[in-house]
Amino acid sequence: MRFTKSLSLAAISAAIFALLGPPPALASKRPRYGGTLRVELSATSVSFDPRSWKPGSPAAGDSEKLAALLYDRLVTLDDYGRFQPALALEWVHDPSSKLWQFKLRPAVKFSDGSAVTAKDVIAALQPLFPAGFQVSPSESGVQIRAPRPAPDLLEQLASSHYFIFRIQPDGSPIGTGPFTLAENSVSSSSEATSAPLKPAHLKFRARDDAWSGRPFLDAIDVTLGNPPLRQVLDLQVGRADIVDLPPDLIRKAQQENLRVWSSHPDTLLALRLDDAQPGAADPRFREALDLALDRDTMANVLLQRQALPAVALLPQWLSGYAFLFGTSMNLDRAKALHTSLPAGSAGAHEPIRMRVDAVGDVMKILGERVAVNARQANIPVELVPRSTSSTVTPAIGLHLFAWHYDSLSPRVELQALAQHLHSEVPADTIEEPVNPEKLFAQERRLLNERQVLPLLLLPKYIGIAPAVRNWSAEPSGAWRLADVWLEPTESLTSNPPADTGRTTAPGGHP
Amino acid sequence: MRLLFSRPAVSLLCLLFSFVLTPACPAQTAQARDSFTLESALRQLIDRFATAPNLRGPFKLQFFQDPAFAAETGKDWQDFFRQQLESHHFSVSDSPDAALLRVGVAETPAELVLSATTRVGEKDEVRLLTFPRASFRAPSLPVVPVRLEKQLVFQTSDRLLDASSPGNDTSGGMAVLVYRDFAFVALRIDSVGAVQQSVSLAAAGPLLSRDPRVELSLEPDAPSIVFSEKSCPFSWTAAAADIPCRAAKSVPRAPAVLTPSCDSRAWKLLADSSDWSTPDLLQAVPNEPSHKGSAAILSDFPGPIIAISAEQNPSASALVVTRNLRTGNYEVYKVTLACGN
Repeated sequence: MRFTKSLSLAAISAAIFALLGPPPALASKRPRYGGTLRVELSATSVSFDPRSWKPGSPAAGDSEKLAALLYDRLVTLDDYGRFQPALALEWVHDPSSKLWQFKLRPAVKFSDGSAVTAKDVIAALQPLFPAGFQVSPSESGVQIRAPRPAPDLLEQLASSHYFIFRIQPDGSPIGTGPFTLAENSVSSSSEATSAPLKPAHLKFRARDDAWSGRPFLDAIDVTLGNPPLRQVLDLQVGRADIVDLPPDLIRKAQQENLRVWSSHPDTLLALRLDDAQPGAADPRFREALDLALDRDTMANVLLQRQALPAVALLPQWLSGYAFLFGTSMNLDRAKALHTSLPAGSAGAHEPIRMRVDAVGDVMKILGERVAVNARQANIPVELVPRSTSSTVTPAIGLHLFAWHYDSLSPRVELQALAQHLHSEVPADTIEEPVNPEKLFAQERRLLNERQVLPLLLLPKYIGIAPAVRNWSAEPSGAWRLADVWLEPTESLTSNPPADTGRTTAPGGHP
Repeated sequence: MRLLFSRPAVSLLCLLFSFVLTPACPAQTAQARDSFTLESALRQLIDRFATAPNLRGPFKLQFFQDPAFAAETGKDWQDFFRQQLESHHFSVSDSPDAALLRVGVAETPAELVLSATTRVGEKDEVRLLTFPRASFRAPSLPVVPVRLEKQLVFQTSDRLLDASSPGNDTSGGMAVLVYRDFAFVALRIDSVGAVQQSVSLAAAGPLLSRDPRVELSLEPDAPSIVFSEKSCPFSWTAAAADIPCRAAKSVPRAPAVLTPSCDSRAWKLLADSSDWSTPDLLQAVPNEPSHKGSAAILSDFPGPIIAISAEQNPSASALVVTRNLRTGNYEVYKVTLACGN
């Protein structure tokens, strides 16, 4: 129950308060309009074209956060599990949940002043849906016809790439969101290759005529590609208001008394076993490797408790049943399985080659730890660099990859992950009506096949300057930057903000 | 049945699609019809679990509960589950030989997930049920007996901006101002929280503001909504189109000052209200400057405090508007400066 903090806490607080007296800045404060929020991100590039986002890619996660400044969705999901109208005011579906109709919000305009029409919505959404979905005009807006029952369509539309957007002929993105893109100096991919260390800048300007209300901020300056340590320094000295932090810097940030916010675990780090190196296909090898992995040490020692051991493909916050899965390290069993492998096969005596498919120091040290764990069970693992000068690429048996959870629908997320693994996905399980028991069975099957071995779950960590107020994020992971406001520096010394850890309740309009 | 709408004004669409589509219903209606309690969900889970073949007790229970959900529901549901299981003629035991039955209650962004799993022979029997989170009905919240007493008098899922008590009303009623479908709506609420009257004030402000600074003034015979730059008097009987607004520089409402029956001192109510994502603390501090800092009474609220207005009668109470961060609902509390414990 929410109110039971109560008497003892209130009495202690009252006693302390009575001794100290109320702080001078006690009068009720309201959000303040104005100011520029300075954001620094480690990502080196972003794309504002949702059609180009690759499912599960961490880069798509960064792009989605910034795209949410420019674009709106048809619906959003609030912190309390309620779907809220955005560009769609109302919606209905037929009894089979195959046909959905959406009434569009009237009088909403793109940032270039043109009105949003059903045609715009169709042009934006149709390319984003998988084959078989049909988006077409209806009497009051648009309708979406799914090839099979889609009771989780709202979860899909409230997350991932399902934005209503328009890419102008000159390539500039426009939307109906609370900000417009005023400057964009992000290098193209060819320029980025020639000058990878040069930070890129984006400037977003508030829209006075935003249908959802003018943001408190006047502008948001985003710098991409700054190294993490530089970002921490910028936050400390007041050159940045929001920075993203890698897990290995969280302890340092906390020691420096910086405000650190963390999201739900939104990224899965896992191993994919690749039949390209034949030994990796042997079920005994897969089980031996699985039993050799010390996930607890990886999470608690290597990443200093800033990650969680992963035992399932979908995280608990998304599926609600991940706690039912479990695997424990068993070196003796792993060694026994290893000795039963055919002599001369990869994984027995010939090394299994492993490549780290994602960038970053965390991935690198995690790859090394996997190799160490494997060797403890006598499984030889050889780390292969991502880019080799050799013209002949050796067959890779193990890939260490990062998967960013995009969708609020567990079914869609599991389907996307299974497709990423090139797994055969029976149509009668994942694609049919959302039956939680079938979904669980499907995930269990994928785990039992051990084509993918989950390792860790990583939250997103954000360092926040003291002047930033009303920081919160949507369940989809998008930051609610339109609700953020900046406290004048002079008032901060008398009334510092509360820590906004994940444990504090989520925000939104009060 | 899933919740379909989040706004009540859907009658047109209901009519439009009622022949071919699932009846379109506003959230409030759907919520009332489809809402469920944890107890009813647990009953369904046990019914489902009991269909598993070759179940044989006794069962040793092991519970899993999301921390966030635990904060709301406590652990009473575990006793309830145990009782219901026994009523299905399954015995419960702490013996290490008993079959392990794992029972979970977890929240996902859109759903509440209930699970029960046990091993029968060589097979895991897993039973999972999901319910829309939005239709979960939490048990009534208790009132904390603190010196600054508070009583929940009204709650709504609409965006609530202000609450005010008419000076000449001794029946315990009040009026609230909500923002719904791009319009301000004034509601007259009776002493038991039922809506008696509503007036749509669409003419008062068509454009949504991220932070509408609006007050509901209930001066005798002249109710009005007061913006920073204009004032819009209205009548409880007038049509929406008849509401005139006039430019007027308003003076923000003075802090609520309460005087309890047992103390000659007046106490001022204050709140931080600066962050929408953190719960607020309501503070009562002596109103006289000479007493400032000498004492304070605190009461925690389940979310940011949006508005405070003193009640005219009696003068020892005030109305406090907050947004419950756990449920997302807006709530009005009657706060009274009580004597003694």
